[in-house]
Amino acid sequence: MTIAGLGPHGERAVPANQIALSAADEMEAHRRRFAVAAVLHTTTSDWSKQELAGIVTMLGRYGAAVVEVVDCGFEVAAQIAALHRLADAAVDAVISIPIGNAEVAEAHRAVTRAGKSLVLLDNAPTGLLPGTDYASVVSTDNFGLGQTCASLLSPHIGEGGLVGILGYANDFYATHEREIAFRKWMATLRTDVTIVRERFVSPERAEEAVLGLLERSPQLAGLFAVWDVPAMKAVSTLRGTGRELAIATVDLGNEAAIEMVSGGMIKGIGAQLPYDQGAAAATATLLALMKAPVPPWVALPGLAVTSENAVEAYQLVWHQPAPGALMSSRLRDTSTP
Amino acid sequence: MEQAAALSERQRRALGRPRTIEAGQASLSLVLNLIREGRATTRHELERSSELGRAVIADRIAALMDLGLLREGELGPATGGRAPRHMRFRADAGSILVSAIDQSSIAVGVADLSGRLLFEHHEAADLAEGPEAILGRLAMLFAWMMEEGDRPAPWGIGLAMPGAVEKTGVPFAAVPVMSSLQSWSSYPFVERLITRLGAPVWVRSGVQSMTMGEFKAGAGQPAPDMIYVKLGRSISAGLISEGRLHRGAEGATGMIGHTRIGDAILEAVAGADALSHQARTAAKSGESRYLTQALERQGDVSVVDVGHGAQLGDIFCVELLTRCGRMVGEALAPLANMLNPSLIVIGGVVAETGDSLLAGIREAVYRLSHPLVTRDLRIVRSQMGASSGLVGAAQVVIEELFSPTLLQGWITQGSPLRHPDFLALHARLAPTDPGQQP
Repeated sequence: MTIAGLGPHGERAVPANQIALSAADEMEAHRRRFAVAAVLHTTTSDWSKQELAGIVTMLGRYGAAVVEVVDCGFEVAAQIAALHRLADAAVDAVISIPIGNAEVAEAHRAVTRAGKSLVLLDNAPTGLLPGTDYASVVSTDNFGLGQTCASLLSPHIGEGGLVGILGYANDFYATHEREIAFRKWMATLRTDVTIVRERFVSPERAEEAVLGLLERSPQLAGLFAVWDVPAMKAVSTLRGTGRELAIATVDLGNEAAIEMVSGGMIKGIGAQLPYDQGAAAATATLLALMKAPVPPWVALPGLAVTSENAVEAYQLVWHQPAPGALMSSRLRDTSTP
Repeated sequence: MEQAAALSERQRRALGRPRTIEAGQASLSLVLNLIREGRATTRHELERSSELGRAVIADRIAALMDLGLLREGELGPATGGRAPRHMRFRADAGSILVSAIDQSSIAVGVADLSGRLLFEHHEAADLAEGPEAILGRLAMLFAWMMEEGDRPAPWGIGLAMPGAVEKTGVPFAAVPVMSSLQSWSSYPFVERLITRLGAPVWVRSGVQSMTMGEFKAGAGQPAPDMIYVKLGRSISAGLISEGRLHRGAEGATGMIGHTRIGDAILEAVAGADALSHQARTAAKSGESRYLTQALERQGDVSVVDVGHGAQLGDIFCVELLTRCGRMVGEALAPLANMLNPSLIVIGGVVAETGDSLLAGIREAVYRLSHPLVTRDLRIVRSQMGASSGLVGAAQVVIEELFSPTLLQGWITQGSPLRHPDFLALHARLAPTDPGQQP
């Protein structure tokens, strides 16, 4: 898949597979034994675990160590405190996923001003500039993921259907991009479809948003949830109300994948490749540490996943065998004439 | 309601005293701008800077607070008596919507009244789709941004458009845009935007907006004498001279793409299309191994691939970009000699290709310029990318909204949306927009 979106400052993407260390860079990296900290929104999600696995594997390959991993627990204040502390800590670089937008901009800027290299995952807070405030943003093509979800959901929506968007209420670039792209795809290729939206403030409260959507638009035919956790909340909420809707979402979480391959409400998933993203972020970090040119926006294409390719996609995304529930569904599928 | 009542009382008192109203509007505008620009923020500083009396300052501050334009800020350090209270402009009283449109992309953003960008989004677009499609997309994105952030009403819209934008001395004038393209020439793009968004629109050329943006928020600031060069499909430049954007007699400053370099026009040999064409030829002939592989992989190659190739050490790509840089530098050197800037910022898609281009530009500018001109001259690549167009467009709107003449026309109304001239324009345009018909 190609990269459909543009970068946080309108940059054209440099594909992640095009950034690499030269032989001289590799030797220098080994010699300098860099220390890197990772600041994540959470460390408990599958996405974060794989992202971290990609980071530590790639850094380890070139003699760099991840000396600290900060779990911000989705708290802006925790991230700000961690970044200010790391600015004064004995680390050479920080890899961070900004939680929110303007409120965390200064804290990220403080890391660079303290002389550390800063590589961002997924987005750059508005106002930060590449080169001055950070080295690079390494991101999945979130715009492309939104388009993918729209194309996967579309066949399940009848003529003139009503589609709900389960949007994230926080100022978060990645989910904004997915929603904008989903809407654009529908407005361009399914002009008959009407879109309604409800927002949730946290995944735990997605149920309220789903119920709000159903109350406001009882004739809803489908749903786009901006990631898999709220999507699965939507599935359980809908089951509780006896409704069945076609759903598309982002991220190949276990539950969403099993729901999809077992013929449930999830009809398609736009998957990120967090391990590969982590590895690319580590490469960008090493290049920045050695003052080599680093593209301001490095992007990875998403993966369109349906029950047809769920097992193979699972292996690509999570770098491990698919769970039995997924596998047995696949076997059942292939044995059906 | 209380604010409205307080205001009507003030207006009632002023009835029949037009000269006082004018004086009041002028002093209100002066006080607001002093505070907004941070030149004077305490009562004492305001008295000294405005030469207005203590009672007048107190009255104007109270009026501006009633209008929702000011708020009390923090206490300053005491110098013998009571600690002075700083007054702060309420940058959240309204929003500014901005968009930068070029041949292949649309950028949109929302800024507060200080010009700080709060959100931005960039996506690929094709101007060939025509004005109706671009307008529809723009309106959709603006509506989404306003809804998403629960933002205050837009007080103005700033557009950065390709090509020159004519100057007009008329407030709120809806200028034609993209009139050089047949499909756009008779389409009332700005008028439609005004009626659909219900806010005044100011337009500048893309390169002038980007120049403003780089001047305001770029990495090279502060540089009161700077040149910004946009290297895209077209090549153009913007000029900041002694801290002000120079627009030229017809608003067409900086069309350096039409400069002759040797036997060719600069744009025809160093523009993005020209580079993409040369890249395709080299890919097909096998002159560049990297581009040949990229062509096989992607089906086409562009200037972006030339940049990737150069960064990976492909000799053809490095030489192509260095040659392109030298040609751009040759066009810039006379400007540097003439204008003596302290900073030249290179932006646009071609500038994203990397250091080979920049090296070529530097080499030519330093070689062809007077040593005094280049003694402290910095030539840097833009770090703002297309964001500069958005920041610049917001800055244009702010400068227009708070220019003393325009400000005096709306300040007692509390919002430029209630400026009599804008209300008249909106009333005149609305019936002409089919999208606004019941």
